[in-house]
Amino acid sequence: MGRLGVLACQAASLAAVVLAWHVAVRTGLADPLFVPAPAAVATALWTTAREALPRLGDTLLKTLAGYALAVGLGVAGGLVLGSRRLVHAVAMPYVVAAYGVPKILVLPWIALTLGLGTSTAVLTGTLFAVFPILLMVAAGVRDVDPTLVTAAVSMGATRGQVSRKVLLPAVLPSVLAGMRVGIVFAMLGVLLAEMFAGTRGMGFLMQRMAMAFKASELFAATLIVSILSIVVVLSLEHLNQRLSRWR
Amino acid sequence: MPGGATTAAADPIILEAIGKRYETASGAVQAVDSVSLTVRAEEFVTLLGPSGCGKSTVLGMIAGLVRPDAGRVLVAGVPCVGPNPEQVALVFQDGGLFPWRTALDNVTFGLELRGVPAAKRREIGLGLLEPMGLRGFERKYPRELSGGMRQRVAIARALALDTPILLMDEPFGALDEQTRLLMGEWLVGIRRRARKAVVFVTHSLHEAIALSDRIVVMTARPGRIKDVVDVTLPFPRDLNAPEVTDLRAKLWEQVREESLKAMGTRP
Amino acid sequence: MKILAWRLGILVAILAVWEAVAAPLNPLFYIRPSVLPGALLGMWRVPDLPPLGEHVWLTLQEIAGAYVLAVAAGLWLGFLLGLRRTVGRIYEPLLAALYAVPSVVWYPSLMLFFGLGSASKIAFGVALGFFPIVLSVLAGIRQVPATLVTVAQSMGARPFTVFRKVMLPAMASTMVGGLRAGLALSVVGVLVGEILGSRAGIGYVINYAYGLMMTREYAVLAVIAAAAVLAIDTAGALVEARVKRWAG
Repeated sequence: MGRLGVLACQAASLAAVVLAWHVAVRTGLADPLFVPAPAAVATALWTTAREALPRLGDTLLKTLAGYALAVGLGVAGGLVLGSRRLVHAVAMPYVVAAYGVPKILVLPWIALTLGLGTSTAVLTGTLFAVFPILLMVAAGVRDVDPTLVTAAVSMGATRGQVSRKVLLPAVLPSVLAGMRVGIVFAMLGVLLAEMFAGTRGMGFLMQRMAMAFKASELFAATLIVSILSIVVVLSLEHLNQRLSRWR
Repeated sequence: MPGGATTAAADPIILEAIGKRYETASGAVQAVDSVSLTVRAEEFVTLLGPSGCGKSTVLGMIAGLVRPDAGRVLVAGVPCVGPNPEQVALVFQDGGLFPWRTALDNVTFGLELRGVPAAKRREIGLGLLEPMGLRGFERKYPRELSGGMRQRVAIARALALDTPILLMDEPFGALDEQTRLLMGEWLVGIRRRARKAVVFVTHSLHEAIALSDRIVVMTARPGRIKDVVDVTLPFPRDLNAPEVTDLRAKLWEQVREESLKAMGTRP
Repeated sequence: MKILAWRLGILVAILAVWEAVAAPLNPLFYIRPSVLPGALLGMWRVPDLPPLGEHVWLTLQEIAGAYVLAVAAGLWLGFLLGLRRTVGRIYEPLLAALYAVPSVVWYPSLMLFFGLGSASKIAFGVALGFFPIVLSVLAGIRQVPATLVTVAQSMGARPFTVFRKVMLPAMASTMVGGLRAGLALSVVGVLVGEILGSRAGIGYVINYAYGLMMTREYAVLAVIAAAAVLAIDTAGALVEARVKRWAG
């Protein structure tokens, strides 16, 4: 089956799902209080969009802020962690443990000390995103082919030259991979913080809609956020393909 | 191609009873024991022996990347204390090419480190790639090149620094049989023009005989010199000539003995 | 040995710094580690707090339920997409797209549909946990060396036998990694669900303590929950190591 065929099947499947959904609501199989009809969701998209857009912008800004912080900390930390044997051996169990602990457990404390606003959301976003970046960069540093370093040294490279001209380009793919993963986690953290302790932003809006049983609006909002993240991740993927011609 | 110049006074490489021992999890291992050798200017010396006999370690010591535990390494008459990019250039078994750099940028890497301006680098780099048969490939990435091409780029990179000494560690080891043979032939052509002292590590009798002025047969671990054979035949060498067949038989006897020992002692 | 010493040293240093930094600050917001053991004992006696044991038990049940369903759904979907090439080609990209969405956006909808009870927590746990399982099954199938399958077929093995005796063992290491990740995510899903809105469970108690600014109690609960999650994951890691050793 060719590419067009695959796309056609995907579209057809999605259409079938929407149809079945529509039928389920029409025949009363699904309670419209909990499961809004597709038509209702479509209408809600317009009304929700107007309300959602500024909140979406707010969420995105916080995500970017948290993400930037996480990238800075994660890349720097990952480079140190990966390049120094002793540091790696000593610190790794702690880093892995910290990664394994559900970060939501810390969220109440952050909310308590920083309040119900932007800084809580940004900090949570940073917290969620920093670990995967850290671990991926550290792994990337450790995976650098030692022959490349030997070759450079044998040609007379100083330590600085080795770092700039060998380690940095060799590590770049892992850094980019970590950064791609990080953005989803950052958004996750921000949304979570907004749902738990926020007064603005998309997360708070969605939580409020759920509590008020505004099913169609909630579905519409979920759809909007989902499409946004898919677009962001796909563009990053595309960018990554472009930059990795040599691999 | 620019020729290398060596001082007539000192032989490029003098090894004085060098030795190297490694600490492994299962105890100390003597990789190299008491190896003494002198390599003269523009001489092509091959270190021949089974895997694990320390030939790469000897090369590492000449390159200044490995510190000997015993004896001394003298390069251009001066004791070797570390990497010596003015005197020594290396070619590794799997090329060691930087995957994110084009062929040309790989070749000119050493020049870049020295601060040679871009235009000059390009000129030298293209000048090296041309006789390698790689004209038109200078902007390709290693991933886009075949194994044989990659090794030629690696050799060009080593030649770019115009050092009097060239060390090659099983450079054709990762290639298939046909490519190996072709690369061997090609290297014979190059070596006469390059005019450097070359130390070539291989476990292939064929390559040793085709390329060398002298063949140093090494024992299984701990690596010592078992025999040194001078090969005075003119180039290019007909591998079916009777002198060559005799030489090959004689070398095989010795190498076989050591290979069996190496296989037996391996866990 | 030196490494172990360093690690212990770091742990002690962290606790010491934490204690020192928190001591002069407002005890309402900043908990000193030395306060925690006392708070733990006191918790059983605090009248405002609901009975802890029941909540812990409920959470564990939710986790178990979520994981079982996640494994079932994950394995089913993984094998469906992996073994039927055409089906896989159509639906795998859709799955990958879904993976790009921050999972927490599903939760308000799940809460609306399933209510504030256990069902929404289990549903969320399943939503989070089944992804790594599906992905690991797909990856596992892909990395079964084709030669192994050919060898078995050439010896006359039928498709089901090939599946059971060749593919499954070859996939075991990859799959167990996914199963372990799935467990970790199911746990996180249930916890997040409870903290964001529920009437029972450990997450609920944490939220409750937070709401009443009972910071010490909240801290103890958080530490216990963290320790429990780490314990569950360590158990998972041990199982994974065992399976990897066997599968080769």
